[in-house]
Amino acid sequence: MSSPSDASPALRLTLLAVIVIALFVALFARLWFLQVLAGDRYVELADSNRLRTVVIEAPRGSILASDGEELVRNRPALTISADRQELLDLAGAPKDAAAAAVIERLGELLELEPDAVLERLISRRYSPFRPVPIAFDVAPETVFSVRENQELFPGVVAETLPVREYPFGASAAHVLGYLNEITEAELADERFATYRGGDVIGRDGVERSYEEELRGAAGQRVLVVNARGNVLDVQSEREPVEGHNLVTTLDLDLQRATEKLLEGGILASRELTTDDDENIPSVAGSAIVLDAQDARVLAMASWPTYDPREFIGGLSPEYAEYLYTDPDNPQPSINRVITGRYPPGSVFKVVSGAAMMETGLAGPRTQLECPPEFEVGGNTFRNWNDEDEGRMDLSDAMKRSCDTYFYDLAYRQWVAEQRRLEQVDNDLEQLDEVQARVSREFGYGSPLGIDLPNEAAGVIPNRQTKLATWTDQRDLWCELAETSDPGYRRDVLAHNCQFGYLWLGGDAINTSIGQGEILASPLQTAATYAAIANGGRLLEPRVGEAVLDRDGEVIRQLESELIRDLDLEPAVLDAIRDGLERVVMEQRGTAEPAFRGFPLDEIPVAGKTGTAELKPLVPYAWFAAYAPADDPEVVIVVTVEQGNGGSQTAAPIARNILEHHFGITDAEDAEFEAGPAILD
Amino acid sequence: MEVGYGEDRAQRLLRDRVQSRWMAAYDPIKHLDPVLVITALALTGVGLLAIYSAKLQALTQQGLPTTTFISRQLLALVIGVVAMVVMAMIDYRHLRTYAPVLYVVSVFLLLVVLSPLGTEVKGSQRWLVVAGFQLQPSELAKIAVLVMIAAVLHELKGNIRLGAVALGLGIAVVPTALVFLQPDLGTSLVFFWTAAVLFLIAGIPARYLVTLALGGLVAIIVALQTGVIEAYQLRRLTAFLDAADPALAQGPAFQTYQSMVAIGSGQFAGKGLFQGTQTALSYVPENHTDFIFTVIGEEFGFIGASVVLGLFVLLVWRALRIAILAKDLFGTLLASGIIAILSLQVFINVGMNVGIMPVTGLPLPFVSYGGTSLIIWFAMVGLLLNVHMRRF
Repeated sequence: MSSPSDASPALRLTLLAVIVIALFVALFARLWFLQVLAGDRYVELADSNRLRTVVIEAPRGSILASDGEELVRNRPALTISADRQELLDLAGAPKDAAAAAVIERLGELLELEPDAVLERLISRRYSPFRPVPIAFDVAPETVFSVRENQELFPGVVAETLPVREYPFGASAAHVLGYLNEITEAELADERFATYRGGDVIGRDGVERSYEEELRGAAGQRVLVVNARGNVLDVQSEREPVEGHNLVTTLDLDLQRATEKLLEGGILASRELTTDDDENIPSVAGSAIVLDAQDARVLAMASWPTYDPREFIGGLSPEYAEYLYTDPDNPQPSINRVITGRYPPGSVFKVVSGAAMMETGLAGPRTQLECPPEFEVGGNTFRNWNDEDEGRMDLSDAMKRSCDTYFYDLAYRQWVAEQRRLEQVDNDLEQLDEVQARVSREFGYGSPLGIDLPNEAAGVIPNRQTKLATWTDQRDLWCELAETSDPGYRRDVLAHNCQFGYLWLGGDAINTSIGQGEILASPLQTAATYAAIANGGRLLEPRVGEAVLDRDGEVIRQLESELIRDLDLEPAVLDAIRDGLERVVMEQRGTAEPAFRGFPLDEIPVAGKTGTAELKPLVPYAWFAAYAPADDPEVVIVVTVEQGNGGSQTAAPIARNILEHHFGITDAEDAEFEAGPAILD
Repeated sequence: MEVGYGEDRAQRLLRDRVQSRWMAAYDPIKHLDPVLVITALALTGVGLLAIYSAKLQALTQQGLPTTTFISRQLLALVIGVVAMVVMAMIDYRHLRTYAPVLYVVSVFLLLVVLSPLGTEVKGSQRWLVVAGFQLQPSELAKIAVLVMIAAVLHELKGNIRLGAVALGLGIAVVPTALVFLQPDLGTSLVFFWTAAVLFLIAGIPARYLVTLALGGLVAIIVALQTGVIEAYQLRRLTAFLDAADPALAQGPAFQTYQSMVAIGSGQFAGKGLFQGTQTALSYVPENHTDFIFTVIGEEFGFIGASVVLGLFVLLVWRALRIAILAKDLFGTLLASGIIAILSLQVFINVGMNVGIMPVTGLPLPFVSYGGTSLIIWFAMVGLLLNVHMRRF
């Protein structure tokens, strides 16, 4: 084409046609791309446009005492929350005019002054990582107003926060546990695939161990909404599945009495003084009451304790400080009954007694000396009593808690084992370390498997563990030995640096009286005493009784598991039981002073005191018992950290609890009467 | 041989018969273009269906009769058909005489719209309310500008000089400016484009066309630089480029984004009549007027959208044929001008629906809800028929 002016009209019209065709081709091409090539994506976008998924929370199950009383129940609270980061600047003032308007509107909606909204918003009570609840328990209409006019309320969420209700307050807090919001890290874990951000999850106690039963499954409703967010239709609906209820084994009355008496006893014992004329610290303690026949936990208390209600809506900084950093109340959140790792001291003599009888070095009737000291290899191991108590058999040794009786047997066994070790060319696999083996059979050194989280395994030392520890710690010990000031500590470190792998006679001796490296939990001790009480059956303690549906129908009945039959020789078992009875019920029994005035004729009690050394701390007080001794119903174990003598602080607390349980003196009227300090 | 009277009479009768047969054969009414009319009616029918679907849910919710919009559109269709008949009957050559009157009336009405008598809807002052009817004078101005420029160019008979170009441009610029003030960028463009196409067909030298194009470019740059087009307008105009950006999708590009989602989700075969979720749930604003194509795209899919575009192609083809067959330059210019307006409007309208053109307020001819537009388009069909009928 030369120039349009010269060209014919037909040519000019052709040019127009070409332009028009080009325009239409462009439109067809674009349509093909949008509808055919990218259509799938736009279908998804259209669906996400019109469908809104609303989650319907499932009510969490309740937790009941054994008599059906509700210890924890669930209440969903409609809550209006606001996102601090979206509304406030770093100084805590509204971020901009729009944010200020939102706060004002929120105030109108909730019938609050804007300042009050702001005040709640900047309250430090709540974690900065989730919206701050401004109002709990609002009317459903308020929730609708926010959800339907979300554009007026940016940063504001209407949500249902499950609020746990605790009719008995902080009672049984350690058994029940608490709820907390699921963390980002957990959400990333596929084990928590069914959880969404903002969900709560059981954190401790049965709330955690029975999480699956209690939680239920959230439902969801898929709504069809128009551009304005008006709901037009329900496309699909899945009903939430309510969580099941859990019946625990707890005897609510006994539980509350136990808590009260434990706390009262611990606080009262702080008035007492040690030999050095200093107040007994009694920093913490625990008490557990087990059914002697099937190891159901009737009461479980740990002190200091905490209030699970404080977790609702997030911890306040003050309470977090109390929970985690308060020096006067060490670690209130832990359940010392199951997580406590203490040297068991003399309460362990039940186990070492049984072990020593298995060595064949003595029988239950064999009379051994009980001197004030036992010397071996230049080291002196003392009895708790500096008088010579003469000859005694196993039962006497229990009654008097004679350390040297056990030293003698443990040392002889150690010598025999060393000899055997030489015979088998130091092959530890072929050596039967009786003390460690029997201890493990009694359930020490590994968790028993109670249906609560964080159960401690404890430590049962032997030649192998010592070697392993030394391999691990040797460099540290050697370094510390070089840098420490001269003294006992340095000598020990230097020795350990060089010979720390050796299982010495002293190790065997210490272990035999529940000292040295051995660590056990009150729960393990309670299981031991239940086994002694019920004739040798080691049972897995439990707090769960049954899982019920909402109509009260039993879905799952929980049974006590037999861990093993200890197969104790009847003569041995009888001697131990006889000894334990005499501890409480005979003159010069170590717990006899603590039980003076207790109606032992009607309710005979068998028990054992323990005063576990953990130098340089004041000793840990232990008392483990079962009653009635002739037909055991309950087992009780009380520990007081740095409570000094077992007979001094632990036994009187246990006595008060038993008196309450058997209806002798109600916890309301009970008084803590300290036992004598000098006894083990 | 002597020719007798009787013979003469017989011959005259024969001549008369032949003449009347010829006249009958060339009777304009016998040279209607049925394809053109049927295509226009088909597009209107699709439009009625789409309008009904677009407003069905919203009207039901408001408790209004679901026929509220289509009954008004049907009334406009009736008036449009009358306008088409009227436009077809008057010999188009007489239009040259009336062109200045039509033009002056249109410009006057555009001035009235801008006066306080005009009605503002959604920030644009485009309507005049007369006896309960909303009239959009810029639609009438489309015909006026077309006829006026075509008349001037016809008078010059292809002898186009600088003065003629200036005159033609002047005719286009007055309504362009008035419409731009409403503001209605889309219709302004239509006037300008009509003038340009008419110049092209009328035989304007290429250098003038190039100069015009350059001038337009300079005008755009100047407009941007001097702030005649404000920053927010520019942002709205360019938002369609980033419709996929979520930040813009909730703001300036919301309409484009939702409209693309609607059309895209229609896929190949469409979701079916009244089944479009984007349509029913009002996710696309103005989906009965400027965004009517989203309803077609969503509910009838690629097939339906293609059929509608195909109908427009059919219209263009018929108009092009008429432009070629026209007896004189005026007829050719009228038909080509209509092609220009139609194709540009379809391109801009469907283009903004599918996200390749900025959002400017231009209805889809025949299909979009809007009485004035529909009447004017049938009037244009009448004009085409007129040129077609009188092509001998």
